[in-house]
Amino acid sequence: MAEETNLVETIVDHYDGDEGMLIPMMQDLQAEYGYLPADGLRCLSKSLAMPLSRVYAVATFYSSFRLAPKGAHDVTLCMGTVCYLKGAPDILDAICKEFEVEAGGTTADRLFSLQGVNCVGACALAPVMVVDGKYYDGVTPASAIEILEDLSPAQESSDSNTKEDQA
Amino acid sequence: MRNMLGYVPLLRNLEGVEGDNQVPTVTIDGKKVRVKKNATVLDAAKRAGIWIPTLCYHPSVSSEASCRLCMVELDRGEWRQLVTACNYPVRRDIVVYAYSEAAVRARRGVMELLLARAPESEELKALAAKMGIERTSYPTVTESQRSCILCGLCVSVCEQMIGQAAIGFAGRGVQRTVAAPFRLPAEDCIGCGACAAVCPVGTIKIRMHPDSNEIEISPFKSRFKLRLCEQCNSPIVSEKVAANALGKLDANNEELREILRLCPSCRSLRTAGQLAAMPGYDQE
Amino acid sequence: MILPTSAKLNSPADLESLVRRYQQDNSSVAKCVRVCVGTGCAAKGSRKLYELFCEAAEQSDADVTIEAKCVGCHGFCERGPIVVVEPGEGLYQRVEEPDVAEIFRETVLGGRIVERLLYEDPATGKKASEAAEIPFYRVQQRIVLAGNGRIDPTRITEYIADGGYGALAKAISSMTPEEVIDQVEIAGLRGRGGGGFLTARKWRSCREAKGATKYVICNGDEGDPGAFMDRSIMEGNPHSVIEGMLIGAYAIGSKQGYIYVRNEYPLAVEHLKMAISQARDIGLLGEKILGSSFSFDIKINRGGGAFVCGESTALMASLEGRPGEPRAKYVHTVESGFRGKPTNLNNVETWANVPHIINRGGEWFAGTGTEKSKGTKVFSLVGNVVNTGLVEVPMGITLRRIIEEIGGGVPDGKSFKAVQTGGPSGGCIPAEHLDVRVDFDELTKLGSMMGSGGMIVMDEDTCMVRVAHYFTEFLQKESCGKCTPCREGLAQMLHILNRIITGEGEVGDVEELGTLAELLEGTALCALGKTAANPIISTIRYFRDEYDAHILDRHCPAKQCKGLFRYEIDAEACKACGICLKNCPVDAITGEKKVPHVINQDKCTLCGTCWDTCPFSAILKV
Repeated sequence: MAEETNLVETIVDHYDGDEGMLIPMMQDLQAEYGYLPADGLRCLSKSLAMPLSRVYAVATFYSSFRLAPKGAHDVTLCMGTVCYLKGAPDILDAICKEFEVEAGGTTADRLFSLQGVNCVGACALAPVMVVDGKYYDGVTPASAIEILEDLSPAQESSDSNTKEDQA
Repeated sequence: MRNMLGYVPLLRNLEGVEGDNQVPTVTIDGKKVRVKKNATVLDAAKRAGIWIPTLCYHPSVSSEASCRLCMVELDRGEWRQLVTACNYPVRRDIVVYAYSEAAVRARRGVMELLLARAPESEELKALAAKMGIERTSYPTVTESQRSCILCGLCVSVCEQMIGQAAIGFAGRGVQRTVAAPFRLPAEDCIGCGACAAVCPVGTIKIRMHPDSNEIEISPFKSRFKLRLCEQCNSPIVSEKVAANALGKLDANNEELREILRLCPSCRSLRTAGQLAAMPGYDQE
Repeated sequence: MILPTSAKLNSPADLESLVRRYQQDNSSVAKCVRVCVGTGCAAKGSRKLYELFCEAAEQSDADVTIEAKCVGCHGFCERGPIVVVEPGEGLYQRVEEPDVAEIFRETVLGGRIVERLLYEDPATGKKASEAAEIPFYRVQQRIVLAGNGRIDPTRITEYIADGGYGALAKAISSMTPEEVIDQVEIAGLRGRGGGGFLTARKWRSCREAKGATKYVICNGDEGDPGAFMDRSIMEGNPHSVIEGMLIGAYAIGSKQGYIYVRNEYPLAVEHLKMAISQARDIGLLGEKILGSSFSFDIKINRGGGAFVCGESTALMASLEGRPGEPRAKYVHTVESGFRGKPTNLNNVETWANVPHIINRGGEWFAGTGTEKSKGTKVFSLVGNVVNTGLVEVPMGITLRRIIEEIGGGVPDGKSFKAVQTGGPSGGCIPAEHLDVRVDFDELTKLGSMMGSGGMIVMDEDTCMVRVAHYFTEFLQKESCGKCTPCREGLAQMLHILNRIITGEGEVGDVEELGTLAELLEGTALCALGKTAANPIISTIRYFRDEYDAHILDRHCPAKQCKGLFRYEIDAEACKACGICLKNCPVDAITGEKKVPHVINQDKCTLCGTCWDTCPFSAILKV
């Protein structure tokens, strides 16, 4: 908390406390953590004497802001027609139950972010799961879970990719 | 001269703005009324006794005209422009049609979209019926939180009138909602219930919990203990509202502070008692 | 090599002597290699080329001064990386790292041409030794883009040596603010961001508005998919924008300006920041500019990722640190805008035109273009066209010349179907109107609009219903959600289009779309909502038959909508290799060796795997 307060104050000073620069301030905050921590937003609200509801409104209005950290790994499950017919929904369910995550969300330990998409165009490989750009074909609920369990854990230090993530 | 976007070239708009007429005339559906400069077309309509339906308008807060229900037609000479009555400022003599075919059609279209979004709201259906609209031709394709139509009155009232800004908008587009920050119980809420009072569709409700003696503002999840009347123990307001009010009085104002600790009935009794005790008071 | 100065300019005369000095410095450079590092060429590795050329120049022991410099986007992105050698303006295209040594040795040192790197006209086979000979450039009239590709955008010295900030000096020292506005009025400049308002009228209204504090804003939130004109100007010639804003601020009486750049343009932000800092250093921004009483400075702000922030009131809300939600314009922003003060907002390209108007006069500017649309316009020509890139042409040129002569027509032997102009607020224009003269009003008459200048060319394989669906979905994601008609209406229209492209369209859907379009146009709060149905309406207008085919026949004529066309095997082309059979995930294909294979339509899920894997193109879309 103290760390966030210091950083926020540094950021606010850098922009001379100009509330019109709220978006660049949030971008700087997100560059540091990879997302916008709730306490960081509370600090901004205090430093700028701006209602928290307005800070939250700005953080949720613009597409480039994330309020939850992204997982260390990107997991995409194809829900196109063929994959669907071949059991993709069951695989999705199994992953969600096993790792306690929702489609579109991130696991609590930030291991991976899960997404369902419409057809990755690899129907011959159905059902398809893509992890960090690598395609896995013919997955089953069991094999999908095994693949994800083998993922290397999230690093403690902040993502070096965060600046690119924003673009 | 109308361009594709329906905007009138600037020069036209500024004609007459610098004029001295402080009380321009609005001719609305043939009726002429005078209003103060910068009053709205809605003000003129009220004065003329012409009803225009509104949802997101409230006299106590500034109007964003976001619901788009109060559409009327503005005469531009060669063409007519649809404008929102609640915030169109009258700066010179204008001619307006509130019940032209195009205006009625526009309002119907907007109401039908709203009915599709919030089919459960009795208040909305009643307003629609008053407009002569029995049903909507659209399917429900968006989800509202308990009939919320995103008029924003609760947000405006909380920020502008109460000064708390406990709730606000979150998200964008069809994902837009009214929420407390982080969707947690609203931190800055004081439980005054003003949001519930202005909500035109019955989304926001005040729930009383007599067993725990609390007031809850639903759906914002904020709960407060209720201050009880010192005299009769009935609930008055949330503790926070009472504390706010009391906090604004300095210690010397003990008389006022005593009154604030009573419920409205007990206050009336107290006042009646004081009046009765005044010399020369004739009790009948 | 021009060395920068740290001395502040205190008068127009100071600027003039600086220009002379820079031009002298420049003349000592005998040869120069200009490498484009605009985003397109950079993505193909042009920065490395620049580094290699720099090395070569340094290590060369020739007894003349050789310089390598990086420049902004030339516009011919299809042929990048682009390298131009001075003197001679020899243009090399698709340059790769191994070519650097050869270019340096042959052209820079030896004055000889490397033939294989020249542009070759696909039709005639003729090679162009100079940029001016290339059809892509020959038809263009590059005024706003003149500096792109010639000057290094990260050095103010280059802009000044090229005559930059001379218009500012002229305006401040020899013209009154009213005279400046008069010239812009004579020029007939209209906003280049899409609105097309007469710029002089806006400036005049803002100047006359009550209040001492006035703001000028540059809208750099270019959000139309497929449009990158403003990006190129901000990246490749940022000083042209700054100079334009300075002149505008002088005319209007403003002391503070803002440039709002969309979040997705980090290079533009970087170059603008450098440009502003360099301009401040020599006193072209700040207090008492060039010794006059005029003071002006610029702040840069970034967007957070929202298309709607291209709308002026939404942009101003964003600049105030709020969600980018538009507001009513019954009281115009020139009267009450940013922070409630009179504000003049103009697009990047509009600002970039201003120095040229002041330098050469409004009459000169009005000599180009049509009666109501003067000057040139930068278009981004993209999609199914041979030469994709940025083109600057005089208003009034026909669509045909742009697409066929400059663009080189539609590739792969396909036929032209339509061109989308004006982005999500615009519409499509079919082949029958290719001879329309491009200007603000002509395109509007056809049901589209010029918009910011995006031109997306579509060939015969494009499903126009899907095009409408694509734009509607885009707008729904980008809608701010404040007003009912846009938020709910777009959702309703998207719902209908979804049904149509999945074969669930109903009779009456087209009429319903028309009703919703009319509702949005009349009742939406801002231009995004008001024009949101344009892509739908214009595709219905010109391609009604496609909508009917989807709805009545459950068939997609362009064979793009999954489920609305079939795959069949061409018995004559089929070599019975069995690849499709093996790959079909639902075993819908039967066949034996030497017998043409057949697809069982009942089993087929239309996944398209056979289409993707057949090595003999024997699968037909029907």
